[in-house]
Amino acid sequence: MSRLWDRSGRAFLLTLSVGASILITFLVIPIIALFALSDLGVMGKVLITNEEYASLVWSAMATTLLASGTSTVTLLILSIPLAYILARTDFRGKSLIEAFIDLPLMIPHAVAGIMILLAYGGRGLLANLTRSLGIAICNTFWGIVAVMAFVSAPIMIDTIRVGFESVSPTLELIARSLGASPAKAFTTVTLPLSIKAICTAAILSWARALSEVGAILIVAYYPKTINVLIIEWFMTYGLKYAVAISVPLVLISLALFTILKVVLKK
Amino acid sequence: MIVIKDLIVKLKEFKLVIPELRVGRGEYLVVMGPSGVGKTVLIHTLVGFIKPLRGSIIVDGRDVTNEPPERRGLALIPQDYGLFPHMSVYDNIAYGLRIRGLSKDLIDGKVREVARTLEIEGILSKYPHEISGGEQQRVALARALVVEPKVLLMDEPLSSLDPRLRIKSIEFLKNLHRRLGFTAIHITHNLLEALELGDEVAYIEGGELMCVLPPREFIRSRWGREYLRELLMINKYLST
Repeated sequence: MSRLWDRSGRAFLLTLSVGASILITFLVIPIIALFALSDLGVMGKVLITNEEYASLVWSAMATTLLASGTSTVTLLILSIPLAYILARTDFRGKSLIEAFIDLPLMIPHAVAGIMILLAYGGRGLLANLTRSLGIAICNTFWGIVAVMAFVSAPIMIDTIRVGFESVSPTLELIARSLGASPAKAFTTVTLPLSIKAICTAAILSWARALSEVGAILIVAYYPKTINVLIIEWFMTYGLKYAVAISVPLVLISLALFTILKVVLKK
Repeated sequence: MIVIKDLIVKLKEFKLVIPELRVGRGEYLVVMGPSGVGKTVLIHTLVGFIKPLRGSIIVDGRDVTNEPPERRGLALIPQDYGLFPHMSVYDNIAYGLRIRGLSKDLIDGKVREVARTLEIEGILSKYPHEISGGEQQRVALARALVVEPKVLLMDEPLSSLDPRLRIKSIEFLKNLHRRLGFTAIHITHNLLEALELGDEVAYIEGGELMCVLPPREFIRSRWGREYLRELLMINKYLST
């Protein structure tokens, strides 16, 4: 234990621990409750034994993981240049752009879905463009990806931006004085120094995409994601069936995020 | 050599004016002046980080005023040395050579040669956070010198060293300059650095170049006398 935690330090730490414990308990109890109160019989039926249910659940799970993965990778590629521009430059209208970027964080999820539909849907503002590109978003896989990307973009962009801002611009300038072009200075100095922030951004953004349901319900009810299926089963069959398919989702998410966090720490 | 002509740099309210400043090939110019007068602005303009409002910067007969930093052939050592924290000492030194696309063997030879000259062979595999301030300063020097810059620009390179290490570093820089004969512009607040290292001392005050004098003349000038005050005050304690 470090010197910071001497006798009086430990007393202070103990006081803080009370508040910290309350919060941790509040967060962990629902997870425990989900596992504790799940019906193993129903779970076995919908996940394994009943082919009809199992195929529905695992296909929805695959759609969710694939769509959130696609959304995260696409966002990652597009967010790095934007975050870099925001971190390193000042221009007129920058605050407005920043406000637009953060808007999906503030608006209700259903409204986000409506906005996507009105912009890129079959009768949306850019309907002609999306049609000519052969992309449809209404009740399609790409609709789910679009919604997930829209709601998780602020987290991705802002986290990467903070990472870029934490790298001194002087390092880039030194790289340039040593002969590196602006692109080379970025890829050899700023990018590797921001890798932790970039990975964190990807994890958080993926988590946000994975948890989205409200906007997906509006834009793409089909193909069903696991979140949509949970809501549907909760309404149709009740809590037991909703819990049965929530458990694997929570387990898969927990496992993936733990693995990523461990990899990131290394 | 580097020639600065009619240079005007404007940054919001601040203005730096250098009517003419020349540093001959192999010469060592020390730039002095109070804090916030534009010394760092001057070398950041020379290296290409700041665009001047007017004037020209000529390096070895070529006007580089509008060239990007990577095409000027000037290397900078900032106050905190600016070592790349994610690279080993070896990779820091090799950085500029790799950018130039030299072969692996050639890079290795040059890195080891400069490391030998600067007496840092033993720390090549270490990372910047694992070495001392004095060693960091030498690594920064090695990284800048290995690319054979036309002019080496140093922004208070010894300011973060303790007095003992600073004196050692002054000696080291002096010998190194004598041996390698590089052209240098060195910013400092320290009179000893100016006297020991400078072929000439330029003094900037209020954004204007006041004088360029040999060190012995500078110390007798009204600008140099300002720096003597501190020494006289210290002397008072020694004599009582």
